[in-house]
Amino acid sequence: MNWQVIHLDVRSDLAHLAAGDGAAFVVFWWGSLPLGARRYAARELPLPPGRLLPLCSQLVAQQLAARLPELGAPLKPGGDAEPVIRLSTQTAIAFTQHSAIDQMAVGSVEIPDDLSVVVCTRDRPRELHGCLRSLGGQRPAPLEVVVVDNSEQRSAQPICEAFPEVRYVHEPRPGLSIARNAGIAASRGGVIAFTDDDVEVHAGWSAELARMFRAQPEIDAVTGLVLPSSLATRAQRFFQFDMGGFGSSFLPLRFDKSFIEEQLPHGPQVWRIGAGANMAFRRSVFARVGLFDERLGAGASGCSEDSELWYRILASGGCCFYEPRAVVFHHHRAAWDDLLRQTRAYMKGHVSALVVQSDRHGHRSNLQRIVRALPLYFSRMAIDVMRRGSKERGSVLAREVIGWAAGLQYLVRPGWRRRMAVRPGK
Amino acid sequence: MLPDPVMSYRITEVELTEPLPELRLARDQDGFGLIARLHDRLIGFVLHPAPPGSTLNPLEMQRLVDRHFAMAVLETTTKSMLAQRMRIQPDVAPPSLTIAICTKDRAERLRRLLSSVDAVRSKSRLRSVEVVVVDNASVDDATRLVTATFENVRYLVEHKTGLNFARDAALHAATGDLLAFLDDDVVVDRGWLEGLFEVWSDCPEAGGYSGLVLPFRLDTPAQIEFELAGGFGRGFRRIHHEPSNLDNPLHPVGAGVVGAGCNMCFDRQLLLQLGGFDEALDTGAPLPGGGDLDIFYRVLRSGRSIVYEPRYAVYHEHRETLEQLRRQYWSWGLGFMAFIVKCRRTDRELAQRQAAMIRWWFVHHGLALARSVRRRQWRRARFVVAELHGGVQGLLGEYDRSIGRSRRIREHVARRSGQKIGSRPIEADNGSAP
Repeated sequence: MNWQVIHLDVRSDLAHLAAGDGAAFVVFWWGSLPLGARRYAARELPLPPGRLLPLCSQLVAQQLAARLPELGAPLKPGGDAEPVIRLSTQTAIAFTQHSAIDQMAVGSVEIPDDLSVVVCTRDRPRELHGCLRSLGGQRPAPLEVVVVDNSEQRSAQPICEAFPEVRYVHEPRPGLSIARNAGIAASRGGVIAFTDDDVEVHAGWSAELARMFRAQPEIDAVTGLVLPSSLATRAQRFFQFDMGGFGSSFLPLRFDKSFIEEQLPHGPQVWRIGAGANMAFRRSVFARVGLFDERLGAGASGCSEDSELWYRILASGGCCFYEPRAVVFHHHRAAWDDLLRQTRAYMKGHVSALVVQSDRHGHRSNLQRIVRALPLYFSRMAIDVMRRGSKERGSVLAREVIGWAAGLQYLVRPGWRRRMAVRPGK
Repeated sequence: MLPDPVMSYRITEVELTEPLPELRLARDQDGFGLIARLHDRLIGFVLHPAPPGSTLNPLEMQRLVDRHFAMAVLETTTKSMLAQRMRIQPDVAPPSLTIAICTKDRAERLRRLLSSVDAVRSKSRLRSVEVVVVDNASVDDATRLVTATFENVRYLVEHKTGLNFARDAALHAATGDLLAFLDDDVVVDRGWLEGLFEVWSDCPEAGGYSGLVLPFRLDTPAQIEFELAGGFGRGFRRIHHEPSNLDNPLHPVGAGVVGAGCNMCFDRQLLLQLGGFDEALDTGAPLPGGGDLDIFYRVLRSGRSIVYEPRYAVYHEHRETLEQLRRQYWSWGLGFMAFIVKCRRTDRELAQRQAAMIRWWFVHHGLALARSVRRRQWRRARFVVAELHGGVQGLLGEYDRSIGRSRRIREHVARRSGQKIGSRPIEADNGSAP
């Protein structure tokens, strides 16, 4: 099947959603405000206005409820980290300012002159080129772009030379956390935004992040929306649709200490806060809770160095904000084998982060997740695989189980668990 | 877990723009069914168990209403704002409508239904509304006499017993562009016709429309049990069922999600092109089901969509006793599998999906059975067993037996009236329906 990703501004582009020659993942926008996304088979397109109307009503109403203080914004996460709308019927009936959605359509014009963008890369010159090109197209432009080259052979250096405004930093010690920490040390801005080399950012990305940090001084970290840049291969579609991609909520969400406290009995689901491909921190945070844990992340245990840092921020009384207006486009793994490898690494990294979180904060429920919730999840998925007879899901599940088993090693490595791996930030 | 229903639920309506009333339960009531309206538009329904004799004060009401209906209110008002900006009015004239009511020996329920239809038909924005009562071989005169008490209602008799015989008779007698079917055990909501008009004007290209089915009353444990298990509910958002659906790998074989046969409407020309209903399904007592699934499936397979509209709503009189409900579950299993067997025979293109659907259905019900046994919900377990029993029976030749039965019914009626058999081609006869 031939898949395309279509961006549709529902204010004006109604007629422009042409019937493609394949299925489509349609992202609905209201100006620069992302509303939501749905997938459609080729013969469903173009969508008639009568079909768009109820969907847009639902999406716009949710944005209003999530963004207008008089309707109860900002939203806080519920039991599964899903946004909980607390709206009273009387308020809803009395509400008439629906045109507020038009103000939300205007993108940020905040100048990100205190925002450093850090991109860590390792031997992916072609992808890095696309990433840097998109960063060069930021309007307005950020303070600086720092590329941390985590390869031994300095493979990113020739690429960076093509972009004079990019600052090149070489960090030969392998590990994403180490590279990110090097990026923090090398950057100058009061806010440090991270994205990955396999990502292209939206033109307004830096400005949206800058606006969040300036408007709300109490926020320590912001995460944003990660959309698929292409869904051409089976692996990319499986990651997006069957594994949930990098989260699918289009509603802003505020996370604070109560999130950790409420979820403590079952292990806080901090990975739901966002994705490392689209996150930003105030520099002061690193002085308060330390830098990225160098035992975690790609090149070390696998991943989850980002969510573990959010965990520390929330546990210390800080605040994280998910703002889907800050948009990046991620190139999902195109090859099925790469997806399987990635799945295994994610699960192994997840287990390692749970061990770290339990050790650091004494929150034992993180360990219970490893030995209880995850095996339960695996058995549920196994039933689901049988029910649907899906070989693809089965092979992904197998990699998850293998990754989980590989992650168990961290439970029994006292040396690893005791290692002092978080350095304080400046 | 909700407590086992043992008594009855009080169904009551609230208008959200007015101050909320205090609701008191009688001693033999252990819950509420709350129907919510906004400026008279139906926007929500919720079941709320409560101790017998208790009172729901305005504050508790407020909490309940906020939790379930506040977002629906905001979505409704947002929709009217967007409709002004986005709506492209259909440039076709409003269609005419025929409402077909197929009934057998239920004169009192028919009277109730016709009264409710009478109350809405005069206010309609449709070009014209015709009402046809198809008397499906009732044993006495009562159905005809009740029909005669209403003005502008056509009456016709279908001697061949079976719901799909009656539906086909209505199809060939109807004159409307749209043909809406109602079972005789429903009553239409006062917004029913307006809901149908709205969904048509938003989606005039659709091949059919299905509507919400709410409980008419919740007076017995069987009725409450059924409603608590989800009932016929399909929610309060419009749903577009297209010929393809990427979110559901079994679509459109799982046609049951589209709606229910007691409240459905089609483009009449499309039904005629499709050859009408399959008269071997929905044949009454021996195989009381599958006919609606079959027609939904064939409409979707023909490339047209079916749109579910919650304001196109009826109230259905659920089965009264647990025994009747058990039999209903059995008939759903039976009808569903008879339908699948027919699909496998007539639509080889989706053979893989049909096989997957059968597998999914048995695993799903097997798990449901295991779950109810684990939770010691014996009543539920018996219903699941009944449905499984029906499913197995349906797979094992029920469709063929039913084809034979419907042929015998046709021959029998034709002999009696001295007609020649098969004056009209009947698709199910040769097992090669479209």
